Amino acid sequence: MQNLRSLDSVDRFRIVETSRASLAPERYRPERFYDEMFAADGTVRPHYAALEERIATLTPAELGERQRTLEQSFLLQGITFTVYGAENTTERIIPTDLLPRIIPSAEWARIESGLTQRLRALNLFLADIYGAQKILADGIVPRDLVLGAPSYRREMRGLYVPHNSYVNVCGSDLIRDGQGEFAVLEDNLRVPSGVSYMLANRDAAKRTFPGTYRAAGVRPVERYPDLLLSTLKSLAGDWRPNPQVVVMTPGVYNSAYYEHAYLARLMGTPLVEGRDLVVHDNMVYMRTTEGLRRVDVIYRRVDDDFIDPLTFRRDSSLGVAGLFNAYRAGNVVIANAPGTGVADDKAVYAFVPEIIRYYLGEDAILPNVETYLCREAAQLDHVLGNLDKLVVKAVGASGGYGMLVGPHATQAERDDFADRLKADPSNYIAQPTIQLSTAPCLVEGAIEPRHVDLRPFILAGQKIVVTPGALTRVALKRGSLVVNSSQGGGSKDTWVLADGEQQP
Amino acid sequence: MMLARVADSLYWIGRYIERAEHLCRISEVMLTATLDDNESATEVARIALAAIGDHEESEEILTPVEQVRNLLFDRDDLGSVGASLSRARENARQVRDQITTETWERLNILYLRVTGPYAEQEFAQSASTYLHGIIADLHLFKGAADATMSHGEGWRFLLLGVHLERAQRIARLLDVCFGDHAGPTPMTDHLAQMAVLRMACALEPYLRVYTAEIHPLYVLQYLLFDEDFPRSIRFSTARIQEYLDKLAPRSTVVSRAGPERLAGRLNARLEFADLDETLGASAILGAVVAECSRIHHAVYETFIDYPLEQRLPA
Repeated sequence: MQNLRSLDSVDRFRIVETSRASLAPERYRPERFYDEMFAADGTVRPHYAALEERIATLTPAELGERQRTLEQSFLLQGITFTVYGAENTTERIIPTDLLPRIIPSAEWARIESGLTQRLRALNLFLADIYGAQKILADGIVPRDLVLGAPSYRREMRGLYVPHNSYVNVCGSDLIRDGQGEFAVLEDNLRVPSGVSYMLANRDAAKRTFPGTYRAAGVRPVERYPDLLLSTLKSLAGDWRPNPQVVVMTPGVYNSAYYEHAYLARLMGTPLVEGRDLVVHDNMVYMRTTEGLRRVDVIYRRVDDDFIDPLTFRRDSSLGVAGLFNAYRAGNVVIANAPGTGVADDKAVYAFVPEIIRYYLGEDAILPNVETYLCREAAQLDHVLGNLDKLVVKAVGASGGYGMLVGPHATQAERDDFADRLKADPSNYIAQPTIQLSTAPCLVEGAIEPRHVDLRPFILAGQKIVVTPGALTRVALKRGSLVVNSSQGGGSKDTWVLADGEQQP
Repeated sequence: MMLARVADSLYWIGRYIERAEHLCRISEVMLTATLDDNESATEVARIALAAIGDHEESEEILTPVEQVRNLLFDRDDLGSVGASLSRARENARQVRDQITTETWERLNILYLRVTGPYAEQEFAQSASTYLHGIIADLHLFKGAADATMSHGEGWRFLLLGVHLERAQRIARLLDVCFGDHAGPTPMTDHLAQMAVLRMACALEPYLRVYTAEIHPLYVLQYLLFDEDFPRSIRFSTARIQEYLDKLAPRSTVVSRAGPERLAGRLNARLEFADLDETLGASAILGAVVAECSRIHHAVYETFIDYPLEQRLPA
């Protein structure tokens, strides 16, 4: 997700004072951005009508009370992430907003087919670049772009991957453009997280707005752990009658540890750390109270670099020595497969529409955000000429490093970046400043618009399944476009409505 | 079948929980007893501090309340209640997938109560109410675990920890009253003996058996040999044997000092002890502490930290 960019858009919201005691949504009027609840003319979108009615009956105090109950229940359940400070270590809950974000069924249908199409193509792409490399030979994607990427794992060349499904769990980030159309901002194909918040938020929303929930006809997300387990089992189903699946975590100090334990608990599978596993004769075993027991499928939440010190980073103590050899021998399945990161690289991202066309002969259902590849001379010229309007990102970097936000940079910074661009153009891409849509959120007792994105979760084993729900991430600071939890982002439940059950 | 690391964590949750409860109860009894200013109070304070153990004589003389505050909140002291509960929770977090949400929530609430920002303030307002609350919460934890967790392998490791810790702690308490570490004069003070029974949560059950006639020999017999009272040492050794018997046949390799054999021997010793043996209490109390620690090591060797070469497939 892009970090940064704190557009000061406060002035873009006209605050209408009201004398009503309840939280009147009239106060709330986003003007420029697409809003999830209100159309441009200020009327409530039909799929939000039931929620609007319900909110109107609640006083600010009642809403605040519900918000507190919600936060307390998260704290008690230990749905927290750990913040390591110099003085002491504290655990915080991820800020959670109680007003659900609602997506009508027609819109979801497009998202669902778009994501399915995209992941099918990306899995074919991965199978190809680790196999015959036809797409490179045909010159659709530049050879050096793929083979030169640090996330390309040559160790994966020619290996058997069940169902050719390299990416088994995907969490794409979608945003709405200014016209309200969904576009893919990023494909997370490595170890995407956040699904436990989707489930926990749903659990909370059902208790906060039970009546509205039932009346709206929301599609359930609770089957996710079950679907994940069957996806994982399907990877070893051909050669083991009842495969032993485990979830592998870096350990309790990982910020997503809660999620790892949560998924293991709901799937009923052991949660292992590297130190629980042993490789002997290219078989993977876990240490149990009764001795060693064979492991067949590892749903790993550890990055490629760290899974096996013999093959990847030698200083890793999180992994298991010999794991990759066992994988190469076909005695264990690692999900997601190592080396999937090359397909969510920022430069490869720009080629995804071409990739879809190449393998499937179809146009992409969900568009990309417009991206300029600085490696192409013509595009570089355009980027250099429009540095004050664009966001420039380094291909290999993430987390907001090596990035220029044109509209907010000084002329000196832009000049400096222009030099860097000219020196190493292939290391950079540029995108227009992104306009996230807004959704109503409860902030200090008032309902205000906040920017949101959408992270649905897609599973791919024998077949591809999109869970009808998502994690909606919220930038809690007014005007901010940063939704990352590490930088003050929160989340809210996402209701995908079933067909024909919508409120008028 | 469960991960060895998970069994280890569950075992230690049991130990830490039991430790925290024991420390809180002794503290509460001491605070109540020392409200009086007499010889019994001095004796009770001596017993309590000796039973809590390894506290070195500090330079400054602390009031009982200050001592209890340190015992509860001292973060640097790994034997404190706060540290025990933090570690129990840390272990529980590592096996969060193995314990039920109900059980986890009880432990998490306890942790938040003892380490939260208002803990010391609450304690200052009323030390005894605070301690009482913590003990009640610990009971709720055990109750939630009992009522919601499957009583299988993990449960047995949890309770194995509880009972090993309990047997050792009660043995230590009896030792500082009647054994080698007793005070210079034999304990005859009625109030002090009542306090000792309270420290083992045994006063009311004791009275039902022996009536209000409190005598050192009876106290010792009750806390060592009673078959039904859950804080007598024999009760704990019987549970230890029971759990290990159920756990043991599952292990493929029988090590020579299998923990179930050690547990059976210890339990038999208490079951068939000559009551006169209580006259020389230190021998049997010392044996309990030593055997429990051997069982602990045997459990590690058999279930948790076994040498890999023995278990590799041929």
